[in-house]
Amino acid sequence: MSEIEGRKRSRRDFIGLAAAAAASGPFFLFPGRALAQQKTLKIAKWAHVVPGFDRWFEDELAGEWGKRHDTQVVVDHIPVERISALAAAEVAAREGHDLFMFPWPPAEYQRHAIDHAEVYQAVTSRHGNVARLGHRSTFNPTSKKYFAFCDGWMPAPLHFFQDYWAEVDMPLGPVHYNSLRSGAQRLRAKLGIPCGLAIAPGLEGNVTLHTLLHGFNSMIRDANGNVVVNNARTVVALQYVKDLYRDAGTPEQLAWGPSGNVRAMLARKISATTHAITLIRTAEKQDPEVAKKILLQPLRGSGGVIAVPYVTSCSVVWNFARNQAGARQFLVNMIDHSQTIYEKSNGCNLPVYPKTVLDLNVRLSNDPQADPPWKYEALKDAPRWTVNLGHPGFADSATMEIYNSFVIPRMFLSVVKGERSPADAAKAAAAEVTKIVDDSKQALG
Amino acid sequence: MRNIFKGAFVASVLTLSASLPAQTTFPVFNPPPCDFSDSFYTVNGFDVTNLDTSAAGRFGNFRLFGPPAFQSGQANWVTDGNCSANDPNRRNVRILATTGAYKDDDGAPTQFFSAIAFVLSQNFFLTGSNAKNARGFTLQSIIGNFEAYGAPTQMVNGVLAPAPCGSMGDGLTPCFPVTSVATPALRHDWRLSSNRNALDGSSNGPSTPFSYFGDDLTGSWIITYFWWTKYAVGGRADQPAPTSTCQTILAAAGRQNGISLDGTPILHTGDELHFIEGVPGTAPQFGFTQAQTNQLLQAEATAPCGAEGNEDVGGKDGGAVWLVCPTILDPRNGAIARDAFLDVVRRNGTPIDGRFQTNFGCLQSTGKFCNE
Repeated sequence: MSEIEGRKRSRRDFIGLAAAAAASGPFFLFPGRALAQQKTLKIAKWAHVVPGFDRWFEDELAGEWGKRHDTQVVVDHIPVERISALAAAEVAAREGHDLFMFPWPPAEYQRHAIDHAEVYQAVTSRHGNVARLGHRSTFNPTSKKYFAFCDGWMPAPLHFFQDYWAEVDMPLGPVHYNSLRSGAQRLRAKLGIPCGLAIAPGLEGNVTLHTLLHGFNSMIRDANGNVVVNNARTVVALQYVKDLYRDAGTPEQLAWGPSGNVRAMLARKISATTHAITLIRTAEKQDPEVAKKILLQPLRGSGGVIAVPYVTSCSVVWNFARNQAGARQFLVNMIDHSQTIYEKSNGCNLPVYPKTVLDLNVRLSNDPQADPPWKYEALKDAPRWTVNLGHPGFADSATMEIYNSFVIPRMFLSVVKGERSPADAAKAAAAEVTKIVDDSKQALG
Repeated sequence: MRNIFKGAFVASVLTLSASLPAQTTFPVFNPPPCDFSDSFYTVNGFDVTNLDTSAAGRFGNFRLFGPPAFQSGQANWVTDGNCSANDPNRRNVRILATTGAYKDDDGAPTQFFSAIAFVLSQNFFLTGSNAKNARGFTLQSIIGNFEAYGAPTQMVNGVLAPAPCGSMGDGLTPCFPVTSVATPALRHDWRLSSNRNALDGSSNGPSTPFSYFGDDLTGSWIITYFWWTKYAVGGRADQPAPTSTCQTILAAAGRQNGISLDGTPILHTGDELHFIEGVPGTAPQFGFTQAQTNQLLQAEATAPCGAEGNEDVGGKDGGAVWLVCPTILDPRNGAIARDAFLDVVRRNGTPIDGRFQTNFGCLQSTGKFCNE
């Protein structure tokens, strides 16, 4: 959702969205003191998919923090698909929550955010430096300000059914994009099971195709922000996805909504897909036999082993927030609980301060719920192969407008559907990206 | 089998004569390369039974004579009891065939490795709990970070084929085979990636998960094949002749780097490959200015002159997906033995890049690079 679009929203829109958010679960936590003496901290948080995480977040993390800080904490859980609309409405109305937690870098709202440098400094003094992913997802190198605070992330490796891929002599997974196509082609021919990369516009399609684009050594903009998406490597990537779909895909891919690839994997209708490990965690809970057969692997391409995160959890303290001090303090204290956040999220939320989960590698090697227990070892070096949205630059407002308007999935989809040639699709995407970048520059003055 | 034993005897004699102290006039403290022991391969995730097949061609078991050796009776390896004495993780098979390679960062002809065995599919890796090393990483995940760039000849029956056969290709003919990366099948010498993961023990920064000598203990690499496309060499109905852009690039690259065995230019660096692939943001190469580079890269957007790929890890392409080819950490002071020989691409018996021969000769006779 663009900042410009956000400004068009009326106060009535905001009230409606806020009411809808409240309907999805307002959780007022009363620490047992007279309300008149208390401050209030209102938090909008992206709804986690791991059962129980949000309840723990409200009742224990936020609740206990509220008691200690004599604050009434209100937590609203916002479905991911409604995050952008609510944030835009709050910005337009300049009221709403004090702290807004996004599952991606909210760069388009930086004019409405405080500088979070103070939060970073406070956390760094306790836990060391933030990981590169967090820094590059929340820092504006022009203004030298942090427009948000990154508190965690989820990697997005390829998930594949080991037993399916063993049928085509790839028991250890496809490894790289060429074998993904050649193996998936044989696999569909032999077993009738298609490959299931998400290519429809949506979160999964965004993550999958931004990752694929980097894997083919392409990029949307270069490190200086110049639009370069119309290049040879993009065209090669587009042709690749077209071929992959033709040789090993399924028409269902084109119509998947949110988590469509997850449902297909859980039903064993596809052989592989890209997602956060929430997919396997769901399988472990619903059907351990299915989970047992799923393994993880980042794919390598001519750009190396590289992927964008499924989630970059970034929190914003609005500059119109009534309790800015409380919001800042909450973020600092939240990082103190990174170990518990990791546990309560079933290992899905990785720390952006590596030292806060000291036994992470041990846990990944011997996960109590995984079968085999070493399944998550593939994530040991995930911080190394995961890059921020906007790579090789920083995540800025144009980056997020490109992301949230699904320019890249739409580009790929137009080729897969035969509506455009790869060259024409790359050219059209470049025109769209250029307009977004120009508009963003104008909006920022 | 008899031939192998006979060869081993001959090679052993060569070893004895090669190790005479009087033949070295410089300090010797770097041991020459040897094959690893079976147990070392196993603890690092290799299934030795597959390495010990003729298709894998493991030195010490196979390929005593013949390529990469290029002279009659020339042995690729010898038995040498010093190997396991110097390093208990080695077996007593010393490698004589020393392959030259460019360093990807700068194109320097300073790298030397031992092409011990070809890894043809995932069947060469142990599975399950045996798949991981002591640190919990699988062999496949580690060596996938280290790319050796192989350049099979594109000349097939007198014409340049614009794509490889098999899964990396376009399914059309002519295509060039990728079933062998032994030196006679290459158009020019190898490149070893050093720009993505540090070739030495250092780190290239946070995006480099492993160091070659620190983590890739068997010195193995994934092979990235690269070639000139139909836009550079023609050969397809929809593209029978090179584009003017690719002709410009071919001419400049050839002038700067020289011509390979099949008539296409030699590529020395990763940046040069990126340039012919049209990777955005690539720095100017082959003497082009920045303005010319911008124009050429844009012109390549729909017609890239180069491409790269990796073989099917299930082994369907029939060639090497990975290589056991440990690079010599420090080729000075004895690592290049007196009886070792240089394995490089040759034209009429002469190396197409004489700098390899020069460096090899200096290292062998003085224990130093020529410029030291």
